[in-house]
Amino acid sequence: MLDILFYVFSAITLIAAVLMVLTPNAVNGAMCMIVAFIGTAALFVLLEAYFLAVIQVVVYAGAVMVLFLFIIMLLDVDKGEGGATEYKDKLTIGASAIGFLLLVMLVFSAFSGAHLPEPGLTAVTENPEVFNGGVPFTTSSKSFGYSLFTKYMLPFQVAGFLLLAAMIGVIVVSKKHDIAED
Amino acid sequence: MTVGLNAFLIVAGLLFAVGLLGVTLRQNTLVIYMSLELMLNAVNLAFVAFSRYNGTMDGNLFVFFIITVAAAEVALGLAIIVALFRRRQSVMVDKLNALSH
Amino acid sequence: MTAAQILLAALLTPLLSAVLIACFLRRRGTLASYLSVAAAAGICAFSYLAIQATNGSTIRAAIEWLSFGNFTVSMGFLFDGVSATMLTMVAFVGLLIHVFSLGYMADDKAKGRFFGGLSIFMFSMLGIILADNLIMIFVFWELVGFSSYMLIGHYLDTDEAAAASKKAFIVNRIGDLGFLIGIVYAYWHFGTTNLEAMGAAVNADSSLISWAIAALLMCGFIGKSAQFPLHVWLPDAMAGPTPVSALIHAATMVAAGVYFLIRIAFLFPESVLGGIAILGTSVAVYAGFCAYGQNDIKKILAYSTLSQLGYMSAAFGLGYPGIALFHLITHAFFKALLFLGAGSIIHGCHHEQDILKMGGILKKMPITSITFFIGVLALCGVYGFAGFYSKDAILVAGGLDSTAIFALLTLGAFLTAGYMGRLVWIVFFGEPKSDAAAHAHESGFSMVLPLIILAVLSVVGGWIGVWPEATGEIIRDNLEHLHHAEGHDEMHSKVMILGSAAWIVGLLGSLFFYGVGKNGDALQNRSKPVYEFLKARLWFDEIYGFYVAKIQQRVAVLLSFLDVFLIKGLFVRGSAGLVGLVGACSRSLHVGNIHGYVYWFLAGIILLWALASGVAL
Repeated sequence: MLDILFYVFSAITLIAAVLMVLTPNAVNGAMCMIVAFIGTAALFVLLEAYFLAVIQVVVYAGAVMVLFLFIIMLLDVDKGEGGATEYKDKLTIGASAIGFLLLVMLVFSAFSGAHLPEPGLTAVTENPEVFNGGVPFTTSSKSFGYSLFTKYMLPFQVAGFLLLAAMIGVIVVSKKHDIAED
Repeated sequence: MTVGLNAFLIVAGLLFAVGLLGVTLRQNTLVIYMSLELMLNAVNLAFVAFSRYNGTMDGNLFVFFIITVAAAEVALGLAIIVALFRRRQSVMVDKLNALSH
Repeated sequence: MTAAQILLAALLTPLLSAVLIACFLRRRGTLASYLSVAAAAGICAFSYLAIQATNGSTIRAAIEWLSFGNFTVSMGFLFDGVSATMLTMVAFVGLLIHVFSLGYMADDKAKGRFFGGLSIFMFSMLGIILADNLIMIFVFWELVGFSSYMLIGHYLDTDEAAAASKKAFIVNRIGDLGFLIGIVYAYWHFGTTNLEAMGAAVNADSSLISWAIAALLMCGFIGKSAQFPLHVWLPDAMAGPTPVSALIHAATMVAAGVYFLIRIAFLFPESVLGGIAILGTSVAVYAGFCAYGQNDIKKILAYSTLSQLGYMSAAFGLGYPGIALFHLITHAFFKALLFLGAGSIIHGCHHEQDILKMGGILKKMPITSITFFIGVLALCGVYGFAGFYSKDAILVAGGLDSTAIFALLTLGAFLTAGYMGRLVWIVFFGEPKSDAAAHAHESGFSMVLPLIILAVLSVVGGWIGVWPEATGEIIRDNLEHLHHAEGHDEMHSKVMILGSAAWIVGLLGSLFFYGVGKNGDALQNRSKPVYEFLKARLWFDEIYGFYVAKIQQRVAVLLSFLDVFLIKGLFVRGSAGLVGLVGACSRSLHVGNIHGYVYWFLAGIILLWALASGVAL
């Protein structure tokens, strides 16, 4: 059952992503992006990272993409620009470049001997052990907050400062300057 | 669930590739930016999958921070794009280019 | 002055003359001609002084010219009996021809260029005569080839002359390729290219003689002296002015090949000598036949020269280089005489060269005719004239060696008398066949004087006893050796009989066959196929022409394509293009194209991935 869900949501995510890249209309692209994020959130749920799934939907799909939509509509980009005909030939070049990159990566990993074994995902409800010195995995948000405020306290604070700086930066950058001034 | 780590990683890799495609192909700055976000998203997926596989929380926490930073970055980036639009009256990359070639 | 200094003066005089003419006297033809004749006289004087100074001993002098590490190329003189003999002949005959040219080229428009060419030729020829090592010989060899090219192509406005000069140069070059390889091989084999050093080495250890070196060096001789298969340039070279034909293509340059062979005679093993004998004999007979199909007086004489060159190389191949030298000297005298006589006739007939349009010259130009007859008699080997002694010796040597060679050489003697008789009867007797011949008049003094002197030499030149002490030593040696060879006397009497029969039968036979003053060529009239076959000269020119046009040209086009495509396109332009490509790619980093940045980013990622996974580096 879960497998089928995985395949479905993966398909949704990927198709939405491809559509986003290919569609000429930016607003359509933003919409497809939202779908892709929601699909990713679903994949997070499948990976039992519930907190992150919610965060993904709220922050990414909800705030970030909405901001994108605001700006797209603010800038009023014409529909005609960036049509399909414009990048038909670039599509081949780009696709081949990306494909080549993937192929190169594949070849390198094949030859360097770093094979990823095929594990299954074990059930988490058993007694978790401390694994590799990291914080043990649980599905509850409690452990999330726990490690966030103990082990990762410093990055947490720094992230706070980062957000402050970003906010100030946005205000400074988007301030309107009169041309006749000075 | 019999789907293994590799499947998740393949999905993440494909998402990343699609994002890369978008970055290299599109002329619209906003779409390029969205493709960038898509790449970040793919990385998030990979992190969570690894975290689950390894049985630690560290991957999840890192994704948390990535989302935070990505949000801040998007805000700032879009502000810059708006400022650029005000200057050049366009968001197409080829028209924005002031260097001659 | 020491002998070496005198020789140096002799060598540099014509060079000085040529340089002066080239720089200052191009337009002043008369002045140039006098300067050139003075230079020729100077050479004569210096040679005489040098021979006096040497008193019969050998002079050696050398200076170092180039040196690369262990290998040094020096320029020097090796003046022994052989070179003294040759020098005397070249200087004297050269002077006479210079004097003749004063009259012959009097109304030529490019006199300055002509005399400059003559001077540079004399310089080069002297260089060959006096040189003491193979490389110096080669340098002057090429210079002689260049002078020949320049002089054959003297009449700039005719295509024929231009084509002939090119042909001469290129065919010579082909021979010189073998020559050059031979020099390199000789240096590798002996460690030196000095003639005396090589001679000493070979004398000490006769196993050092290598047939390959001899064969390769012989290639130069084949090219220069017009042997098979590189004989095709000599008849065409008659497109040049007649003094050029006399000097270069009769007396001196073509003889330079034989002279060179004599110089390196010690390098030749029996097998190669045998080959040379066969080669010479075949050319002697071949050219004899070809002369019957020619109507141009100069071409007949050219084939005669070819034939006599064959005799010289046959003599060398039979093991008697001295006799080859003897025949070379006597041939120079009477062939120069014949050519100058022909020149006088041509000049008198206002540049008419076809013998069928001449006739009755004897009445119009008596002195020329008499001297010409003397030359013909010398050539045919009539007893007492110069040609007799040398040809006789060659026939005896051939007879002592093999019957086949003897038979062919004797046949050659018959043929020689025949075609020369044909020439004489048609040109000098009977009625004039054209207006030009009817209005012929005797030439001026400057043209007649050399004829007379050469006629005297054609008679006296064979009396080897009369020659000065310093010259002709090797000739005397060889003749001695021949006299004491086994079976010499009976062979000698046989040759006397056959030789006399040759010229008598030849001259009279041609008289009866061709008739005196008949209209048209009798052979052509009576049996056209035979005449046409003889005229075709075994189709050598056609074969070569076909080869060059069809085969060589295609190879050349292919090589040119490879050159343009591979070397110019791929390597030169390709490497430049590669650099340009790298530049263009790098430039994409700086033009503000975001997508370019992304591709560079990708490239960097791949590189880092490779580094991290340990695949690269």
